[in-house]
Amino acid sequence: MTSSPPSQQSLQDKIADLERRLRDAKAQLNQHHGVAPPHTTDNGAALHALLLLSDSALPLGSFAFSSGLESYLAHHKLSPPSASQLPLFNTFLRLSLSTLASTALPYVLAGYRNPEEIETLDNDFDASTPCTVARRASIAQGRALLAVWDRSFKTQYKSALGNADAPEGKQAAIDALTAFSAALRTSPHANAHYAPLWGLITRILAVPLHEAAYLFLFSHARTVMSAAVRASVMGPYQAQALLASAELQDRIRGLVDEGWQRKVEDAGQSVPVMDLWVGRHEKLYSRIFNS
Amino acid sequence: MSFTSPFAKSTSKPGHGSIIVEILPPNTPVLKTVSYQYPLKLIAPDPLPPPNYSGETDTPRLIHIVFLLTYGGGIVAGDSIDLDVHLDHKTRLLLLTQGSTKIFKTDDPQVVSHQRMNVHLKHGAALMYLPDPVQPFAHTAFSQSQIYHLDQGQGSLCVCDWVTSGRSARGENWDIYEYKSRNEVWTTEASGKKRLLLRDNLILDKHGRTDMRLSSRMDRFSVFGTLIVRGPVFASLAKFFLDEFEALPRIGGRNWGDAVQAEPSSKEQRRTERQSRETKDGVVWSAANVRDFVLVKFASMEVEGSRNWLRAMIQEEGSVLDAFGERALLCLK
Repeated sequence: MTSSPPSQQSLQDKIADLERRLRDAKAQLNQHHGVAPPHTTDNGAALHALLLLSDSALPLGSFAFSSGLESYLAHHKLSPPSASQLPLFNTFLRLSLSTLASTALPYVLAGYRNPEEIETLDNDFDASTPCTVARRASIAQGRALLAVWDRSFKTQYKSALGNADAPEGKQAAIDALTAFSAALRTSPHANAHYAPLWGLITRILAVPLHEAAYLFLFSHARTVMSAAVRASVMGPYQAQALLASAELQDRIRGLVDEGWQRKVEDAGQSVPVMDLWVGRHEKLYSRIFNS
Repeated sequence: MSFTSPFAKSTSKPGHGSIIVEILPPNTPVLKTVSYQYPLKLIAPDPLPPPNYSGETDTPRLIHIVFLLTYGGGIVAGDSIDLDVHLDHKTRLLLLTQGSTKIFKTDDPQVVSHQRMNVHLKHGAALMYLPDPVQPFAHTAFSQSQIYHLDQGQGSLCVCDWVTSGRSARGENWDIYEYKSRNEVWTTEASGKKRLLLRDNLILDKHGRTDMRLSSRMDRFSVFGTLIVRGPVFASLAKFFLDEFEALPRIGGRNWGDAVQAEPSSKEQRRTERQSRETKDGVVWSAANVRDFVLVKFASMEVEGSRNWLRAMIQEEGSVLDAFGERALLCLK
């Protein structure tokens, strides 16, 4: 993102200051009325985990891939070439989200619901990924997520187990993940794909499933937008506006609802031409993203 | 007065069919079973030896061929077809159709027609399934699955699954209720455990929250297809697809004229001709090497574009025609 002009910066500071004062004033008022702040202990941990996972650096390594956007743009030459690519991008984002929801979301849900099946889910997801480009991207991000868990989250979330309010099945999920990490080093069939691991790790972090699924799709939308900004399709403010739009919210919520009951066996490609765009990325003459 | 038929009771159910190819010792492949029930129909012409058959022990003496047909030339709403195919070790089967599989209109989008095929291949067996495309008419709901079972990952496959946008002459352009096609390859490991090797599942329905009609989701293409290639019998074909994909001209590349143009070989000339026809026909394709498969995806504006391209590729490479004969390309004529 480019830096904002100073006047805007000072405005933002002012807003932040005003908001803080409003909060303080409200808190004082509440104290006067004897109203306790909302009880958030059981939700607080989940919220914290959700914020951790919504870091724009995640999925780690996603910045290197464009999820087919670059190839899509190369397959759709505009005339005149100076015309805005924004309408094209809007179409692509819809198709890309639809594809992700039909192919990967079932694996997120299954990874969350059935941690003990992580090895099968990983194998089946690998078997269902038809092109090398998408496969490389998914594995790179999955391995990065495992590394983040291993080096950053593990200490905290393993030790929190002793608490009485540790969610049911969490130990089993951690065991499944530990076993999978071990299998990754020995088994030739283990790959570490992103989607099932995302489900499993959000389960361990006790993020509610609906939020985990929503964030999975949201992060993808943000990744594609970030790629669009770097490919000069639009500016950073425009990207934020699209991310904030009610249309995107509706779409993601709708996709989560639609896919809620879908089994992994029924995961599949809903936009067949997407496979071609992603697969032909390596045929581009010039590329700014990895294939 | 009750009457007991002297004949054995028929065990076949509507739409069920079975094809079993076995080896009659020492080395003669025979079509042990070809059975079918309305609305499915199977036709098995005489098997032919492969061209240039020299009596080597590695290649079977006869190539069997079976045509999958349906009465009326298509699948009527609510029809259900189940086909089981068993290939013994070192047998070869060519599965074809006689014209596109038409899917007829359903009044109720909930009534989905089905076609399921289960193929079991033993070690050294090879299946070539190169049918005409499925052609779902407007207002149809169809779901098909092709499941291939390999024994410890052995066996050779070259199977194609393609679908068109409907009757384009009548202006149909993906005006279907839903279309699903599933291709899966499973292996049974020595321990008896089953493992998924490949799943290629296409789902065209109203879901996806795209707010777009199916026709716009398909980006002007009216044919989509997948070719799955695996195993020693088709290794040369698989490599050919990968090499030709590698040799495709770069998208957005230009000829700056600074590279010395050598006199093109005849192979390069044919390649250039084919590539210019691909461009003219609007054929777009990719090939990927995944999990010991070569997976080819293709799309084109018209059926003939894909048909010509696929035929040209298989003909140019040649090894399939040597192993299965010219009849392998009957559906691509």
